[in-house]
Amino acid sequence: MPLKTNGIGISVEDTRICVVMVGLPARGKSYIAQKAQRYLKWLSIPAATFNVGNYRRCDAPHPSADFFDTNNVEGERKRRAAAEAAVADMLKWFKKGGVVGILDATNSTKERRQWVMDVVGKHGIDVIFVESKCDEEELIMANIRDVKTTSPDYAGQDPEEAAQDFRNRIRNYEKVYKTINADGDEDQLTYLKIMNVGRQVIINRIQDYLQSRIVYYLMNLHIRPRSVWLSRHGESMLNLEGRIGGDSELSHRGEEYARKLPDLVLESVGSDRPLTVWTSTLQRTIMTARHLPLHYNQLQWKALDELDAGLCDGMTYQEISDLYPEDFKARDEDKYNYRYRGGESYRDVVIRLEPIIMELERSEDILIISHQAVIRCIYAYFMQKSQEDSPWVPVPLHTLLKLTPRAYGTEVQTYKANIKAVSTWRGKGSTAKHEDPAPEGGV
Amino acid sequence: MDTLLTAEIAANAPRYRRKSSTFIDGIHDISDDQNMAPAQLYSTMSGRLFHSGRIAIVMVGLPARGKTHICVSMARYLSWLGVKTRIFHLGDYRRATVGKGGEVPQDYFYPNASPASMVLRQKILKKCRDDIYAWLNHENGQVAIYDAVNPTASGRRSLAKEFGKHDVQTLFLESYVDDEEILKENARNVKIHSPDFEGMEPDAAAEKYLKRIVEKIPVFETMEEEELNYVKMINAGQAFFYNNVSFNYLSHRIVFYLTNLHIKSRVTYFVRAGAAAEEDSYKSDGPLSEEGQYYAQKMCHAVLKHRENERKQVIDQGGPDLPLRPLTVWTSTRVRTVQTSEPFKELGYKVRQRSQMAQINPGVCEKLSERAIRNLYPEEAEKHELDPYHHRYPRAESYHDLAVRLEPIILELEREQNDLLIIAHESVLRVLYAYLMHCSTMDIPKLKFRRDEIIEIIPAAYQNEAKRLHIPGLDPKKVPRSPEEIRVVTNPPSGELSPIPGLSSPVEQQPPNLVEEPEEEETARPPEKIDNNTKDTLKDRLADED
Repeated sequence: MPLKTNGIGISVEDTRICVVMVGLPARGKSYIAQKAQRYLKWLSIPAATFNVGNYRRCDAPHPSADFFDTNNVEGERKRRAAAEAAVADMLKWFKKGGVVGILDATNSTKERRQWVMDVVGKHGIDVIFVESKCDEEELIMANIRDVKTTSPDYAGQDPEEAAQDFRNRIRNYEKVYKTINADGDEDQLTYLKIMNVGRQVIINRIQDYLQSRIVYYLMNLHIRPRSVWLSRHGESMLNLEGRIGGDSELSHRGEEYARKLPDLVLESVGSDRPLTVWTSTLQRTIMTARHLPLHYNQLQWKALDELDAGLCDGMTYQEISDLYPEDFKARDEDKYNYRYRGGESYRDVVIRLEPIIMELERSEDILIISHQAVIRCIYAYFMQKSQEDSPWVPVPLHTLLKLTPRAYGTEVQTYKANIKAVSTWRGKGSTAKHEDPAPEGGV
Repeated sequence: MDTLLTAEIAANAPRYRRKSSTFIDGIHDISDDQNMAPAQLYSTMSGRLFHSGRIAIVMVGLPARGKTHICVSMARYLSWLGVKTRIFHLGDYRRATVGKGGEVPQDYFYPNASPASMVLRQKILKKCRDDIYAWLNHENGQVAIYDAVNPTASGRRSLAKEFGKHDVQTLFLESYVDDEEILKENARNVKIHSPDFEGMEPDAAAEKYLKRIVEKIPVFETMEEEELNYVKMINAGQAFFYNNVSFNYLSHRIVFYLTNLHIKSRVTYFVRAGAAAEEDSYKSDGPLSEEGQYYAQKMCHAVLKHRENERKQVIDQGGPDLPLRPLTVWTSTRVRTVQTSEPFKELGYKVRQRSQMAQINPGVCEKLSERAIRNLYPEEAEKHELDPYHHRYPRAESYHDLAVRLEPIILELEREQNDLLIIAHESVLRVLYAYLMHCSTMDIPKLKFRRDEIIEIIPAAYQNEAKRLHIPGLDPKKVPRSPEEIRVVTNPPSGELSPIPGLSSPVEQQPPNLVEEPEEEETARPPEKIDNNTKDTLKDRLADED
């Protein structure tokens, strides 16, 4: 594809990308779409998923397998209408500033893919197809089991009948399904084809950095079960004084939490299977991790250090509001984007956490001991918190969180150490040293 | 192991760089330097990253398929990440074995070669492989890149088996090209310096060269071995096929890197931000001073003028009258870098701000003189002296932290198709320069970038080249050095290292009348190319057909 330039050495605006899912039902397309959307949104890249099934359900809420038979004229018409409606909405969304739109549907024929290319391409939007092709019976069965219990298509139906019907539906799709470039005439498309859960992958005609980033992320995803544990450091000396940042040691109660943490972790893990522990480079997290069992591998990451408050480091909120009243107000108005003078914003923290998220996705069981703002950002990734909300999430001290990613969202369990600590949560506009009463952990 | 032979090869390799010099791309250095890993994520007891064990990346592909470019770039990236990587070119071993001016027999690459040729081939292969094992086993190497043609499936199968016996995982990386245009382009690049083709039309020469490859290596089977781990890169990155039997992170990472790699030549310019009113304060993030603004104007002018001159030169020498490649400007989010880019923005150039490119955080050392640091933090200063790259003052970032944070920028840098101007703090320039020119971590904190110069990096397959361009019209007395740095505590300062020779001389030693010189004369100061030996090495590698 030729570079878009205006001829005098200045290039025009950035690309917009439409990610088009391709594949038979029960191949994990929605899981992939959902993960990709979460990752991009977390990186502040406007992303949205348009699920054709949701549009179709308005018209045909509980269709039987026959509906998906290509010989069923009525079904075909309705499905086509649903796809058109989804694409129309996506284009509208792109006009409002969308960057990555994900079209979640089977798109299993060449004709349908060509149609998407034509309609979307006309608006100067790049199209990347992401196909999940899988013949592993076990994985398909697991997906079918999941679908028959969670899909709105089968709400209120007998699970066994639902499963049978769903299998028939898949069979109807199989009749017309064509994998991308099966006939060798789709070589011009940009696509990622993941076969048999990543055993083989084809990447074709990646056009820009953002596309390569999406592809890289999708290649790092794995579907083995695992959990991520998050904890803040124990209460620190500066916490007691209501001062932010710094690099202080733990308070007595903080030290008590560090001693209790191994039991808390053991209780949550349920066995002595070792976790890998990631801390920041600041004393308070390293001290919090030091009583954990020796066979836990420990790594320090600079990227897990607390949000840098710049000039305000080590101050109380009252001092900040006295010295920099405008800054204090500006931060409350847009906490996510506000960058401390000479310091960082939540947005900056998210960017520096990106390699951590990539490592997390490919790793298995990890325990992260870090700081309030950093935990908020990681939490926002797993829980799809918006940028307005994530900087305000209460993450109480002396509490262990266990996050377990599932197909349609993340499960959270909370373990309290029952050791007293000050509250470091701050409500909008407040300059209190220790907010009282603090909200129950929103997590 | 025949250590003598290895040494001989190292010494005969014309690209071998003197250890002390940072101005030549050091990617081909054979060194036992432990300090070549700017962005290592963490260290393990074994010194090996990602818990991946030892890996051989085995190249597959005929000559003129860009294998060297891929090897070199991959080694650059992996070393930068902290993976101990070394390239083993089978061609080096062949040349060392047959001696200078020697030739391998005509049937050397034939499947039905004569017994004598077979013996010679086995001998060369064995030497190379022994070196690989020695390096992996005794020098704690992690990734050995084995650069050879490896044309047959049976040969590759037995290679993987052999490596497996030595507890080394094998990842094959094939560069497969069936696009005639790319082939010709590659052939043109390779044969330029060969006397065999002197006076020939470029296209005819390329064709002759390609034909010769087919004659020499009549059998080549593209990879289809289901049981092997391999990545097939098709037509210089247009497509990738990835057969993953047992690999994970590192190979994903390599593929991610390769999807961003492209061979088109485009240049990168490094310039510093203008001086700020409050140079010493990191936290205040102050705006440009008056001189800083003046500098921004002059620098912008110099960059654009240089580009225009280069283009004119190409046309004057009979080259095609092509429009300039687009120029993109990257700055950090720090106020002074953004302000330095203003003149470009006004002209309509695209300026992108990247928060990862913010300068190194000086922590407690902010505004402190070297003496004050020594007084206040004597123990830290001592530690810093021992390891200026990894040591972190309280609350500060180390250069290592900075490199890790810059990693996404590196990928984007590789992906970028436009010419790129990077306006950043000296600390950031040091780390990015170190990636492109492969510098030791011991040198990185000491690299100097003058305020009155633009550094231009021109990529080439075998090694990158650096050029320094003067920015005319600046008062040298007002060209501040880098007061905002954490003082690099070294004893005694035995002369600052410069990425480029001549750069290190302090400003004060410049001829005092420099600024009085007429404009014309100043602008006439030609861009200086940093001398290296790319031509020789290319000539040397012409017959690299193993």
